[in-house]
Amino acid sequence: MASLGYFTLLAAFVVCSYAAAVCVAGARRRAPRLVESGVGAFYLVMALMLLATAVIIHAFITGDYSIRYVDMVSDSAQPLFYQITAYWGGLDGSIMFWVTLLSIFGTCAVYTNRERHRELIPYVVAVISVVQMFFLFVMIVHKNPFATYLTQTPIDGRGLNPLLQNFYMAIHPPSLYIGFVGMTVPFAFAMAALITGHVDDSWLRAVRRWTMMAWLFLTLGLALGMIWAYEELGWGGYWGWDPVENAALLPWFTATAFLHSVMVQERRSMLRVWNMTLVILTFFLTIFGTFMTRSGIVQSVHAFGQDTALAIMFTVFMVVLLVFSFGLVIYRLPLLRARNELESWVSREAAFLVNNWVLLFSAVFVLFATMFPTLSEAVTGARLTVGPPFFTKWMMPIGLILLTLTGIGPLLAWRRSSTSNLVYQFTWPVSVALATGAGLYALGFRVWVSGVCFALCGFVVGTIGQEFIRGAFVRREATGTDLFTALVGLVGRSRRRYGGMIVHVGIVLMFLGFAGSGYKLDSQVLLRPGDTHDIGRYSIQYDRLSTNTDDQKQMITAHMTVFEDGVNVGGLTPARWYFFKHESEPTTEVGIRHTVSEDLYIVLAGYEVGNQAGSFQITVNPLVNWIWFGFTVLALGTGLALLPESAFAYAAATVPAGTATASMALLAAVLTLGPTSVAAQPLGLQGAQQEVNVPASDLEIDLRRSLVCMCGSPGCGKKILAECVCAEAAATREELKGLVAEGLTRDEVLRFYIDKHGSQEALAMPLDEGFNRLAWLFPYLLAAAGAVALGAALVRWTRDGRNLQPTTGHAEADSLLEARLDDELRNLD
Amino acid sequence: MTPSAVSSFRPWHLFVLAALVAATVVILVARPSDPVVAVLLTLAIGAGGFVGLMTYRTIKPLTQRDFVEATTMAGSRTRAAVEREKTLVLRSLKELEFDRAMGKVSSHDFDEMGGRLRTRAISLMKQLDVQEVNFLPLIEQELRNRLEAAGEDPDAAAVASSAPLSSGDLVCESCETSNDRDACFCKGCGKPL
Repeated sequence: MASLGYFTLLAAFVVCSYAAAVCVAGARRRAPRLVESGVGAFYLVMALMLLATAVIIHAFITGDYSIRYVDMVSDSAQPLFYQITAYWGGLDGSIMFWVTLLSIFGTCAVYTNRERHRELIPYVVAVISVVQMFFLFVMIVHKNPFATYLTQTPIDGRGLNPLLQNFYMAIHPPSLYIGFVGMTVPFAFAMAALITGHVDDSWLRAVRRWTMMAWLFLTLGLALGMIWAYEELGWGGYWGWDPVENAALLPWFTATAFLHSVMVQERRSMLRVWNMTLVILTFFLTIFGTFMTRSGIVQSVHAFGQDTALAIMFTVFMVVLLVFSFGLVIYRLPLLRARNELESWVSREAAFLVNNWVLLFSAVFVLFATMFPTLSEAVTGARLTVGPPFFTKWMMPIGLILLTLTGIGPLLAWRRSSTSNLVYQFTWPVSVALATGAGLYALGFRVWVSGVCFALCGFVVGTIGQEFIRGAFVRREATGTDLFTALVGLVGRSRRRYGGMIVHVGIVLMFLGFAGSGYKLDSQVLLRPGDTHDIGRYSIQYDRLSTNTDDQKQMITAHMTVFEDGVNVGGLTPARWYFFKHESEPTTEVGIRHTVSEDLYIVLAGYEVGNQAGSFQITVNPLVNWIWFGFTVLALGTGLALLPESAFAYAAATVPAGTATASMALLAAVLTLGPTSVAAQPLGLQGAQQEVNVPASDLEIDLRRSLVCMCGSPGCGKKILAECVCAEAAATREELKGLVAEGLTRDEVLRFYIDKHGSQEALAMPLDEGFNRLAWLFPYLLAAAGAVALGAALVRWTRDGRNLQPTTGHAEADSLLEARLDDELRNLD
Repeated sequence: MTPSAVSSFRPWHLFVLAALVAATVVILVARPSDPVVAVLLTLAIGAGGFVGLMTYRTIKPLTQRDFVEATTMAGSRTRAAVEREKTLVLRSLKELEFDRAMGKVSSHDFDEMGGRLRTRAISLMKQLDVQEVNFLPLIEQELRNRLEAAGEDPDAAAVASSAPLSSGDLVCESCETSNDRDACFCKGCGKPL
């Protein structure tokens, strides 16, 4: 079977090269039969990849451990579900899975567009084929998933990494990969448009839907990753600014920017070069993200490990990619030149431009901060850490700016908004924001970042509500129906617009959740059976510790009873699981009590079987479930925007079907499975440890957030001290307590750790000195450069616009044409 | 087998059949103990059949005679561009009206921007009117080109296609209606031919 699989991959590579060559030849020589054959070959690649997939899954299920990859990531005790998902549990298989998804997605895109965009299709096929060829090449020469052992077939496999044996981890990569490969389709269409010179808006129409779909999957992938981190990693948070997480976030920023700026091109025919650039960047970042995770150039919790050969292959591919695509853009620049004219700075177009600037800034900043340790090591030779505090420092204000723009954008008219209208538009949203802020202040909420965020959420909700209500009133007057019908008709008529609004509602809900973390409570306690611990409204009673064993693992479970305001609200069972063959990487089973307003989150950090004592990290996370709920709403909104034209033609008011339902079902499954799920995850927790170490001073709390865990185990991944639960982190916290007690200042303590490790690696943020000053300076430079570029563009376009403005007024008294125009306008509805 | 039965047999039927047969044979021979393996083997063979079908799909176009790519008619592209621009302007107008109703644009701005857009729309409509071309000669020319390329005498073909009754047509025995060559039933009276 292994040789059949390998042969299939080889055949796929050959067929891919055939498809690319024949399609280009056919397009150049205007020979449709060649193109037809090439398209057939393109479909054939998908068939071959499906066959290879069937072969490898067969190997997993029958336990064919002579195949090295199967031996590495599977064993006979694994449940069937994880035997199948082990397919993408390792590096080799994940590349193959990637190609398979790309071939499926590409085939769908080519199949649906083959008639409408006949002139683009050959080049689309060629571009996607070349991308597939690269990944197939990597597999064939370097990372063959079908490679076998020459001698001594193992009797049983080594088993999938316990951290991946988890429901979310099983569905998170496919979703993310679909998002990633989905971005290849817009890229291929963009390249085809550039090659053929048909750079009008038709390629945009072809890819709009695909980009949205890919974006949806990318977002869902990110959400699932966050849920996984939250429920399984056991440090009480959902986003750790880990390089691999960032890798998935980068294309998300550019894709979001593209989805917004594409509207400007559709409406105003502006920004053609810019949209092209965004598509190329998005695709490049998906490849770059893969490169980052797979080549080991950055340290991370879930990077696949060091691999120089792979790094070189990816580097070559990325360089070729950039040179080729931007070369084409430059070559076609004369065709792409658009008549950019901006009538006013207070217009929707300008708001979109600012949105693009902020999103691009985010992407470049995250990229820079993620790569800075590597860069610094290359330049100065000293390793250092750019940890969550550094990211949060910048991304918090950026997030708030984006949220504000979400509220402002829809209130502005295209082209121009005048002052009196601005007042009319902003009155309600601003009132809502002020009322929210004042209400919170009166209620005694004093965390100002969260407060501002809540107020802005109020502002955006005010905006969206106003858009829906006023729109419905306008439509009611125009059509003479009741308000509800008018609302449905309104949404049905411009689904993308109102779907987008619903996406914004989802974003607001997510921001509510993010802001909630400002009110997070946490404590670390050592409890003996019968002890209780109070946190917030809760009182937690520790009952006993139990030990169980099944086929796969040994489970140490703590049984706790939770009292909320003195009322028994049920039990929680945080646990540690020790998977056989992976005893050194116990997984953390978090005990979570989900409620709408907050989560009670208990991690069993250490235990002693002898006297049944356990040390726990207990956290109260306010509003965290609103993040997941926000993702559901976002998926719904995207589904609405994705609905085909015909969906509303049949029934103007029926429930959204198709995509929306599917994504809803997915998220509903995620959400309902959430509370009951008992799976857990990594953290190189070495054995039992007991720690009752509550920080004594603000300085100590601050220092715990300024230093990272240096144990170097893959599970910790340099988490900040305050959050890491491994033994070494506990020891460091103890040491830190001693240092603070000795009366050392903040700088002295930091200096102590720099000397101890010989570099600034133990610091969560590099010190602002020497080469590292660049890390602190860069974001400012970047923001300034972006602002200057944006300002220059705005000024130039405003001037252009004035020059180009045709003389206004006096439409010729051609009443016949006027009447026809009115007629066509009526029919446009 | 009747001719109609032959024509309804599609290549993919063959591959589905072959895959089903192969799957049956493999299951019978291998007798897997685990039903999951049986399902998987069937799926693998299904994928194999799909590979076969797609190979056929790849090769088939190569065996066919090349047809001349539909020539892009002169001016059609510019016309399409103008039409697109007109749609764009009309949509902008519509949106402007909506924004006006929503209270986002002042009446002064609305008059000015709306007037400009209307002027633009009307000028585009005029352009389109001028460009309104008679497609019939173009189609005839295209047809002629293709027939010539196919090696047939365009004039003869034109005569053949224009003449309702030609030697090859089927004439119904009962009602004497002329039918297409491949017809099974008469289109006049419905009797089998």
